[in-house]
Amino acid sequence: EQEGVSVPDNQCPLPCQCDEDGILLLVDCSELGLSTVPSNLSPLTSYLDLSMNNLTEIQPNAFHNLHFLGELRLSGNHLRHIPGAVFQDLYNLQVLMLQNNQLERLPSEDPWDLPNLLSLRLDANLISDVPERAFLGMRSLRHLWLDDNVLTDIPVAALNNLGSLQAMTLALNRITHIPDYAFRNLSNLVVLHLHNNLIRTLGQNCFEGLHSLETLELNYNDLQEFPVAIRMLAKLQELGFHNNNIKGIPERAFEGNPLLQTIHFYENPIQFVGRSAFQFLPKLHTLSLNGATEIRDFPDLTGTTSLEILSLTRAGLSGLPQNLCLQLPNLRVLELSHNLIKELPSFRHCSSLQEIGLQHNLIRQIERNTFQQLTSLRSLDLSWNRIELIHPDAFSSLQSLVKLDLTDNWLSQLPLAGLNSLTHLKLKGNMDLSSSFREEDFPSIRVIEMPYAYQCCVYGACNSYKSASQWEMEHLTDEEEDLQKRALALFPIHADNNYDTDLEEFQLEIEESKLQTSIQCSPVPGPFKPCDSLFD
Amino acid sequence: QHKQNVGVSTGCQSGCQTCSVYNGCLTCKPKLFIHLERDGMRQIGVCLASCPNGFYGMRSPDRNDCIKCGSECDTCFNKNFCLRCRAGSYLHKGKCQESCPEGLVPSDTKRECVP
Amino acid sequence: APRAVIKVTLLRQEPTSKPITLEGVFVGGSAGYAEGKLMQSHPLSLCNTSEDERQDSIFITIVKLESPGNKVPQCQPLLDKARLALQRGAEAIIFDVSDDATAAHQLREAFSLPKPVVLVEGANAEELMGLVNKNEEAIVHIDIMMESPKWPPYD
Repeated sequence: EQEGVSVPDNQCPLPCQCDEDGILLLVDCSELGLSTVPSNLSPLTSYLDLSMNNLTEIQPNAFHNLHFLGELRLSGNHLRHIPGAVFQDLYNLQVLMLQNNQLERLPSEDPWDLPNLLSLRLDANLISDVPERAFLGMRSLRHLWLDDNVLTDIPVAALNNLGSLQAMTLALNRITHIPDYAFRNLSNLVVLHLHNNLIRTLGQNCFEGLHSLETLELNYNDLQEFPVAIRMLAKLQELGFHNNNIKGIPERAFEGNPLLQTIHFYENPIQFVGRSAFQFLPKLHTLSLNGATEIRDFPDLTGTTSLEILSLTRAGLSGLPQNLCLQLPNLRVLELSHNLIKELPSFRHCSSLQEIGLQHNLIRQIERNTFQQLTSLRSLDLSWNRIELIHPDAFSSLQSLVKLDLTDNWLSQLPLAGLNSLTHLKLKGNMDLSSSFREEDFPSIRVIEMPYAYQCCVYGACNSYKSASQWEMEHLTDEEEDLQKRALALFPIHADNNYDTDLEEFQLEIEESKLQTSIQCSPVPGPFKPCDSLFD
Repeated sequence: QHKQNVGVSTGCQSGCQTCSVYNGCLTCKPKLFIHLERDGMRQIGVCLASCPNGFYGMRSPDRNDCIKCGSECDTCFNKNFCLRCRAGSYLHKGKCQESCPEGLVPSDTKRECVP
Repeated sequence: APRAVIKVTLLRQEPTSKPITLEGVFVGGSAGYAEGKLMQSHPLSLCNTSEDERQDSIFITIVKLESPGNKVPQCQPLLDKARLALQRGAEAIIFDVSDDATAAHQLREAFSLPKPVVLVEGANAEELMGLVNKNEEAIVHIDIMMESPKWPPYD
């Protein structure tokens, strides 16, 4: 509905609301409890909203003189059938919204004649069948919504008349199979949604003809096999088949889809993955393969150079290729937890790495060059391994490291070089790590877990201090006054005091000044966990 | 006892199935889309037959959401496929561009690349 | 878990009036300092499907969690919701858990959260949500409350 000036009463049918758009009229009759279409609609009506009323049928001549009508909204009514005559002579109609009605069939003998229609919404109806001639009068159609109906088959014959179609959704229906050549004439189709159906099988050539397809969604179906039919979709960029029943991904699975950027296939019982399955996908930026227990060997990712996020957990991996970082120079997140990895290669050439997850493996030691040059690394999780030895310079170049988790390893000492930007450190469970640390070892620490309580004493955990609730509230402390001034300085409010969304545009410059530093160290020393080591 | 005012279709805005004082609509009546409307610092749920400009409707078995279109797009079919661009960019096969491919020219009224 | 002190400064209040001081509890290892403008997010906005619009200013998100009884679709675990809110640029996130007793348990293993996540309830929560409901713009400062350790009484 566009803004405009109000209209003389005689043109605007009561109780609707109207706005002018030049000489044309925007008429809003939505949510008025109407059971019939107003009879005195102006011929200059270009936009008519009759949604959310009680229309059960439409008189044949209801829109007969609306030659300027560009958009007609009839969603949220109780329409069961609309004969072709109703939409006669609507040559300018481009958008027709019929979602959320009770339509069961589209007219066949007298199909709707809408030569310039671009968008047709039929979602959330009760359509079980689309006759072959249904779309004969809509050759310009570009966008079609048929989702949330009760279709059991792809309406192949009807779709053959829609050569201009660019986007279509058949999601949330009861389709069980996609036959060969189902979309033969849809050479301009860019987006096809088929999620939430019952699709169990695909014809080997079912996607033949979809030369422009970029997005294909097959999520939430019952596919038993990998959809090899995708091999002919050379323009495919986005593919989803998560929540299906696929057990393996074959060798060279995506060799026909070099432009793929995202592939979502989680929630499948995938056990086997061909080593070459993910090769030569230069645009792919995320690959997550979790729980595929038969993988054993690290996949060959030659030619998949843009990968930024790689997650390969619970896969039974026992080792990593030495050239991992040469294959994946842009890696940002590497998640390899819950495998059987004993030794680590050098990650030196993965210079963009920010997060590494290697928890729950069998790693025994960290070499000098394992994590060298990783100046962007922020989080490193090595918990639940068997690490006895860490080279003194192993962390020396990790200037951005803020989180280090070494819980439950076999450490007796911890190299400190490079750890001064840590804010979170976990050392619990390293029972031979009994040395005490100094406050200056971790100048930025906020949360630290030690093997023993006495190691927390250095952080003042033993002496008493006041809690905020005991602070005197009667008068404004200096600190609160400073807080007040800084808040007002940083967030100037308009003199006219009434709330105004332009407030969002002011710039906020905040330095890292903290009201006070406070460190949370555990286990907290107490009467039965004294501050001096029992062994000294 | 905290003032918890969860109304099941009573005292809620039209189209809501359940709502609460602070969050507005929590669930919608069947087939309607829930849209999260920003009003200053507040964000409340409202239920609509079709999503407002700048959002598209995503249906799923348990809920229908209004989801934000990509930038540069006024109305869209999904996140990556636009139906009508914002002023200043031109639609071609679902993408909003500042210029048109060879053989097509930009139309400011339609905001599209046309032959 | 460490307690949080939450100081709330209204943008449209007399310069001399004092900030409101409230309390909450940090979850997991997320204790820390944060400062920003208070902005509400609907619980459904933290599902993966919807993308909350980018905020211009530095902000702290507050979410009123509904009781599990009224069937708000959970869409993803609370820990992932907290992570999503922080990924969208929030300096910290405050959950009003007055009506969701399971929240604290769901967030107990929040070691990996990069910024503070605070649970509030009862009067503290009502004060904060009251400001939101009236669209009363406010700046929030969060920090770790210093507490004296609990020594058992010796005779």
